[in-house]
Amino acid sequence: MKAQVRGRCWVFGDNVPTDAIVRSHLITRPMDEIRRHVLEGLNPRFPREVQADDVVVAGRHFGQSSGRAIAVRALKATGVGCVVAESFARTFYRNAFEMGLPILECPGITGLVSEGDVLTVDLEEGSVVNETTGGRAQATPIPPFLRRMLEAGGIIPIARQLAEGVDR
Amino acid sequence: MNLVEKILARASGRARVTPGEVVIADVDRILLHDLSCYLTAKVLEEEVRQPVRYPERVVVVFDHHFSPPTEEQARMLQANRAWAQRHGVHLFDCGSGNIHHVALHAGFIQPGTVVVGSDSHTPVHGTVGCFATGLGNYSHAALGLPFGKAWFRVPELVRIEVEGTTRPGVTARDVALFLTGQIGEGGMIYRALEFAGPYVEGLEVFDRWLFPLIAVDVGAKSGHVQPDERTLNFLAELTGHRPEAVRGDGDDVAEVLGWEVSGLEPQVACPPTVGNVHPVSEVAGVPIQWAELGGHGGGRLQDIRLAAQVLRGRHVHPGVRFNVVPSSRWVFTQALREGLVEELHRAGATWFPPSAGSNQAINMGALAEDEAMVSTHARNFPGRNGSGRMYLASALTVAASAVAGCLSDPREFVR
Amino acid sequence: MPTFVEKVLARAAGLAEVAPGQIVDVEPDLYMSHSASWRCIRALERLGTDRLYDPSRIAMVMDHISPARTAKTADDQRLCREFAARHGIAKFWDVDAGIAHLVLMEEGLVRPGMVIIGTDSHSTIYGALGAFGTGVGFSEVTATWVTGKLWMKVPGSLRVDIEGRMSPGVTAKDLMLWLIGQLTADGATYLSVEFHGSYPASLTVSERMTMCNLAMELGAKNAYVPPDDVTRAYLAERGVPPGAYEEVFPDPEAQYVRTVAVEVSQLEPQVACPHTVDNVRPIGEVAGTRVDQVFIGSCANAKYDDLVEAARILKGRRVAPGVRLLVTPASRQVVAQIVRDGTYAALLEAGALITNPGCGACAGDGGAMADGEVTFSTANRNFQGRMGSYRSEIYLGSPATAAATAVRGAITDPREFL
Repeated sequence: MKAQVRGRCWVFGDNVPTDAIVRSHLITRPMDEIRRHVLEGLNPRFPREVQADDVVVAGRHFGQSSGRAIAVRALKATGVGCVVAESFARTFYRNAFEMGLPILECPGITGLVSEGDVLTVDLEEGSVVNETTGGRAQATPIPPFLRRMLEAGGIIPIARQLAEGVDR
Repeated sequence: MNLVEKILARASGRARVTPGEVVIADVDRILLHDLSCYLTAKVLEEEVRQPVRYPERVVVVFDHHFSPPTEEQARMLQANRAWAQRHGVHLFDCGSGNIHHVALHAGFIQPGTVVVGSDSHTPVHGTVGCFATGLGNYSHAALGLPFGKAWFRVPELVRIEVEGTTRPGVTARDVALFLTGQIGEGGMIYRALEFAGPYVEGLEVFDRWLFPLIAVDVGAKSGHVQPDERTLNFLAELTGHRPEAVRGDGDDVAEVLGWEVSGLEPQVACPPTVGNVHPVSEVAGVPIQWAELGGHGGGRLQDIRLAAQVLRGRHVHPGVRFNVVPSSRWVFTQALREGLVEELHRAGATWFPPSAGSNQAINMGALAEDEAMVSTHARNFPGRNGSGRMYLASALTVAASAVAGCLSDPREFVR
Repeated sequence: MPTFVEKVLARAAGLAEVAPGQIVDVEPDLYMSHSASWRCIRALERLGTDRLYDPSRIAMVMDHISPARTAKTADDQRLCREFAARHGIAKFWDVDAGIAHLVLMEEGLVRPGMVIIGTDSHSTIYGALGAFGTGVGFSEVTATWVTGKLWMKVPGSLRVDIEGRMSPGVTAKDLMLWLIGQLTADGATYLSVEFHGSYPASLTVSERMTMCNLAMELGAKNAYVPPDDVTRAYLAERGVPPGAYEEVFPDPEAQYVRTVAVEVSQLEPQVACPHTVDNVRPIGEVAGTRVDQVFIGSCANAKYDDLVEAARILKGRRVAPGVRLLVTPASRQVVAQIVRDGTYAALLEAGALITNPGCGACAGDGGAMADGEVTFSTANRNFQGRMGSYRSEIYLGSPATAAATAVRGAITDPREFL
């Protein structure tokens, strides 16, 4: 897991449902097609212009609705380096760590950024620096249990350890 | 400890657990539907590559499809069947009903247990006093299926006490929708909910059902009703076996919220989100072209009976198509016996196989751009049903609107 | 000396008489289009006109995809609804009505002597009521919407004289499959097929519908059963008195391109095997063939009598494990009848999955198969890839054979259950 993510930010509002991340009718399509439509209903430029290590910033309850794991996979496929939101829907939250997508909960983040600002996100400390404006925010650091999962690359590499009680 | 803490403690082999800590718990039941079974199985077979340790705990229900319209979907179901057979898990094929109703009716849900599923409305099973929550494909494939376990961060419990006596024409669904709007999406993120109070306790089990159902919509991890005599009698009748019930200690809650619902009118959750709830009087007159009883919030026998009350002596509006999707074969058979199938058909409704109905528009439910549907479904986010708009309401409101051709207060239709 | 089709087309063309091969301009009485009517509407837009010759002759029934499951279909269907409303097309039925052919006949709109065109090839079915019915393309129906006329080449006629009594468990569907096997898929190409003799006369209108429907698989232009008291009673029940139509009969001295004589007493249940309708075998030769799915539906065999026929075998029994039984009633009226008389409950209890009325799996609205799967169907077509995978198979037969097959999980002679 990278310690830092640095990229332009894309800003979304509250309560973004997974239905907006990957629309229902695209679910069975190949990932190469799906990733070209991620969040396009909310921002048509996003899937076309997103670059590796860009940061998705969102309001409250990001990823609500059906807990479709494909939403996380699709976001990863766009190259997004991490998602920083005021809060996450819990299934999205779980899926992100289980699938190796770094996310941070940062109350107040949406007030601190504008679309296109360059952000540096420190995943270990949980700090977010807006290089464009100089602003800083402190996210809730990733809990140790989930950090280990992220560092291992997701839940599969550590599943046996978890199940056999080796590393609680 | 409250009910959630007691269940998670027992399931993780601990004497006690406290909110915030992570536990690895044994899972008693894993529920997968036709879409998620395919995706989860893929991860299990391709990335995890281990057998299913406790196949008897796994239940697969094909509910989004009642019959695949494309070869691609047929292939998916064929793969699911082969996978289910290879691992020896329980399989309920197309036409059995909505996954949660099927699992409950088949006796797979018991109080005091840990129930997980791929469907985000899995918390609904908390109705009978278990800890039930939705997990993603990776949780199931990595930990649930191969090891029979799941990781959980122990949630705080919030008790929602509901009291009052609703007016005629106002149903449990209206109260649940009202609470969703009051609490708001994300209002209860990461917390567990306990629905209590004389109103909830006075409801029959399938009406209590509608409350844990909303847990995920307000961001909660799970929702339950403390099991009582009514719960145990219900389960005894369903399965022939009367279970033991674990109850939580009343004081161990982080917060208590209360609502008085006597003054409520029927409610409607308007697009684009489940939290956008309004009293029906504020939206009456909005034209609709589709009405549907079915999905997670409907298709129950009580919904069908309520709709029949409205449709007696009336007819579905010529501009409306009214779909009725029973939640299970059991409900369908009962409805036939009670003459409700004939009654609703004669009034102009159309019956569909027990399934998830228009949920995510697999076999049905795509709307055109300026079309609107009023239904008992649980979600109304744009894009789930073609390009149209979804309004969520009670069975009474759905039936009344189907007759009027627009959103309508059902109280004008029932004395 | 004119045959049925020569008489009926002469009249519709305003001519004293016509001969086979002659091109005439007819004024059809009714033009049907189904859920793809949006194609006609778009064609009309391209024609640059909005004027319809006679909206009262236009019938639209949303039956092939019912209801919509993709945004595009939903939009297409909305276009149809809007068009019908705007032009005051009263003969409009939406996705909840059922199969177009059945709806029109149930509504009493199909009558002896009428000339009916439809955007579905099994419009030959209207011959069951002594009408001329034929399938045409969307652009042709569009042209008729505007001009009120359609050109037609008068077909020659094939006469089939059918005598004898069928044994129990053998049905009109079996007869037609046998006939198609004998005459082959182009045995009546571009001919009008007339069914005469004591056998067709003994049939209900529902069975005559099955015959005229399957005639299409001989390559027929249209089919015909002479109207009689059975026809008149069917119409009277639907509020259509004899004065409302003029029956048309072939002249006793009429000249036929070919005459075929058939005796049915020894006929056994028949099965059309993959991948053509004329690949017909007697049941004994294919019994035991494993199936994954059974489909009881389509305009050939999803009428009330067909479902009762299937239920007679399924009642009190269960669908074999691992087999999917899909039942799609032909129309709302059929649903009402089978709910009322317990057929619906019997099918449900046997394990059937009963859908809403419509074309259903026959038209690809459900019922799709994966590689290696086999369906036994009561529909009228089994071309390779019609129901999903190109590497799947469709066998065709009667509702009774389908029901027996569902119980055993393999193609089964229904007579074992009688």
